[in-house]
Amino acid sequence: MINTRILTQEFDYFAPESIKQVVELLERHGEGARVIAGGTDLINQMKEEKMSPSCLVNIMNVKGLRYIKEDEGLRIGAATKLRDVRAYCFKSRYVALYEAISSLGKPQVWNMGTIGGNLCNASPAADTAPPLLVFKARVKLVGKDGERELLLEDFFTGVNSTVLQPTELMVEIHLDPPGDGAGNAFLKVARVGADISKVSCAVFLKRQGRTCTECRVALGAVAPVPMRVKVVEEMIEGREIEESLVAKASEIVSEEVKPIDDIRSSAEYRRQVAAVTFRDVFWKAWDRAIGGKN
Amino acid sequence: MATYKLELKLNGEKLSAQVLAHENLLSVMRNKLGAKEVKNGCNKGDCGACAVLLDGKAVNACLTLALQANGKEVTTVKGIGTEDQPHPLQESFVRHGAIQCGFCTPGMIVSSKALLDTIPNPDRRQIREGISGNLCRCTGYNKIVEAIEDAALKRKS
Ligand SMILES: Cc1cc2nc3c(=O)[nH]c(=O)nc-3n(C[C@H](O)[C@H](O)[C@H](O)COP(=O)(O)OP(=O)(O)OC[C@H]3O[C@@H](n4cnc5c(N)ncnc54)[C@H](O)[C@@H]3O)c2cc1C
Ligand code: FES
Ligand code: FES
Repeated sequence: MINTRILTQEFDYFAPESIKQVVELLERHGEGARVIAGGTDLINQMKEEKMSPSCLVNIMNVKGLRYIKEDEGLRIGAATKLRDVRAYCFKSRYVALYEAISSLGKPQVWNMGTIGGNLCNASPAADTAPPLLVFKARVKLVGKDGERELLLEDFFTGVNSTVLQPTELMVEIHLDPPGDGAGNAFLKVARVGADISKVSCAVFLKRQGRTCTECRVALGAVAPVPMRVKVVEEMIEGREIEESLVAKASEIVSEEVKPIDDIRSSAEYRRQVAAVTFRDVFWKAWDRAIGGKN
Repeated sequence: MATYKLELKLNGEKLSAQVLAHENLLSVMRNKLGAKEVKNGCNKGDCGACAVLLDGKAVNACLTLALQANGKEVTTVKGIGTEDQPHPLQESFVRHGAIQCGFCTPGMIVSSKALLDTIPNPDRRQIREGISGNLCRCTGYNKIVEAIEDAALKRKS
């Protein structure tokens, strides 16, 4: 894939101030229209000529798309900058999201890029996806036919593809409240700091003493879409946690993932690293879970 | 093709230009607004040579459409300090030998200014994180880190 490093295609540009106007513009300009938030993914894709929109609708001036608030969990406006989400999640109950954004790029990217953009771009390696999946995030979409809400799990349909209709935009991401005795963590393996993940993993769990009462596991960059590994979750939930159980679970992780060979890694390498990464993240989340007595 | 009016404040000065939607901030800065101090390294968001402050936050101008900066304030290395009145960071870079070929320096100064604006007394890990979006092929980074650390200390005292 050649990045020509210049934008060659011409297009129209709008910067509306309300969600309604965004939807109207998307409808009026049809299939060629695209939303631009920070542009950190989109502009490179246009330079690579993977994407040639005839019209861009900038959503960064839209009122009511940039916020973070506690309300039955955490609600994040889709156009909230990665920088702000990262700052909020530092030392919060959502620390896995802080860890994911910290591993994603660098200050210039956090200052421009948005959380909604990371999800809507739908890279298999989108780093905010695994933590959001384990927090059982729901996403709210608004389009010409109104509003709908669905689980993030059901949002991704393939590499760079989602359920978003051409006239729809994402407006909110809603995370479940973690509750008591919960711990979570995220880890990624990449070639160098701030590079795209070869494998990433997030774990959310709850513990009572030595027992894990709830467990969710998600991995990125090991399948066409960021994925939950439910067999592993079922294996762990309700059980006393021992080294041998976690070791067995990590074997299942490497059987369940569906990685590919690409320039960053071979599939075989990804399988092995997925197992190890899961194990490390699990223990990190386990140690963090409050209310647990050893 | 339609052109659009771009209005922004560049280093404190109100400017406007007619731009096409697909022109990025980097090319408009260099070719239409005379701000050649903003460098074109990779033109794809990896190196930070084109970093500018957009409303006080470091961004890569090559990954920003000029129109995304409409109505905002853009600050380049020249807006941070001039030859006559250099910023303590700029003096410190010179003193520490943190500049060799100098190509990365405008972006490095921008990123380190943004860092000190949010964390006035960063530790070394925070300094490294602050400039993690800026590549330097000459210095090996240590002198840059020392220069930033020293500038922060001097400002405190
Ligand atoms: C140097 C560099 C390093 C990076 N490293 C990483 C990394 O390690 N991990 C990682 O995950 N990402 C990485 N990225 C990718 C990118 O920065 C993130 O994915 C970012 O969160 C994208 O957000 P954005 O607002 O810039 O999206 P944009 O580029 O504006 O949009 C991306 C896509 O989503 C659509 N879109 C955006 N917002 C909405 C919305 N609200 N509703 C509907 N559609 C929408 C756009 O139409 C477009 O198709 C990196 C990027 C760069 C330049
Ligand atoms: S030229 Fe913009 S990041 Fe390299
Ligand atoms: S001094 Fe040469 S690239 Fe940094």
